[in-house]
Amino acid sequence: MSELPKLIIDREFKAAKSLVWKCWTQPELLARWYGPNVETVIHKFELEKGGEWLNEMRMEKGSMFSKAVFEEVMPEDLLSMLLSTTDEDWNIIASPMMPDWPATLLTIAEFEEVGGVTKLRFTWQPHNASDAEIAMFASMKDRMGGGWGMGFNLMDELLEELQA
Amino acid sequence: MEQISYIKDQPNLDAVFAALADPTRRAIISKLASGDAAVGDLAQPFAMSQPAISKHLKVLEKAGLIERRVDKQKRLSHLKAEPMQAAVNWLEQYKEFWENSFDQLDTLLNELKMEEGEKPNE
Repeated sequence: MSELPKLIIDREFKAAKSLVWKCWTQPELLARWYGPNVETVIHKFELEKGGEWLNEMRMEKGSMFSKAVFEEVMPEDLLSMLLSTTDEDWNIIASPMMPDWPATLLTIAEFEEVGGVTKLRFTWQPHNASDAEIAMFASMKDRMGGGWGMGFNLMDELLEELQA
Repeated sequence: MEQISYIKDQPNLDAVFAALADPTRRAIISKLASGDAAVGDLAQPFAMSQPAISKHLKVLEKAGLIERRVDKQKRLSHLKAEPMQAAVNWLEQYKEFWENSFDQLDTLLNELKMEEGEKPNE
């Protein structure tokens, strides 16, 4: 398989692209929306290729840490980063919720403005994952509904089976 | 037949990934989703020898995706979907994380637009 499976979220925001971009790239604003229902603390944010965004999500039971390394920064158009879960010292670890899952995901946000509405295409795919991890990712995303490319309905059948 | 089904701890997904990386094994799993099957039944659609299919079944068994038993002198395989269910749940959580974050982004954008509206001469 030459092409990596991707998960895509398409979303629209009724705001100018420049404002949406600010919300993604100014730490004070980013912290206000990233991480639903948690306190987001940004420890570092260097908006440039190779720069790091070190993030802590504070929850009742403790914190979860992540590190993003920016790949491409095209102001107001595209932001891509390699996103990984880390320990509190910012070393990459597998997600505690899902060991053996691809630890690093290539995450891409693309912005397009049409008549005052900003369209976001948000994509993520495993990065440097083993073939097995890629196959797993592909089969999982098929379950989530539709036509993103690998084409077998394994999970649908399985989940019918589970409910039988 | 007694079957205890519970999840003690996180399934070892490394083994699950490796198991699903092979198209023949994925097809075997699909077939088992409609019911238990014997080795001969599983081999037939692939025109594959039984020993070859058995090798695949061993990988699936090690990954915890199937369990096997002998019934009336037939070796039957049974699908256990918990490991993949766990993965699906996680993936959906991850997607929800971002969808919910985008909801919060939506709210923030509205707040910011209102603030901007109050300062027309900025």
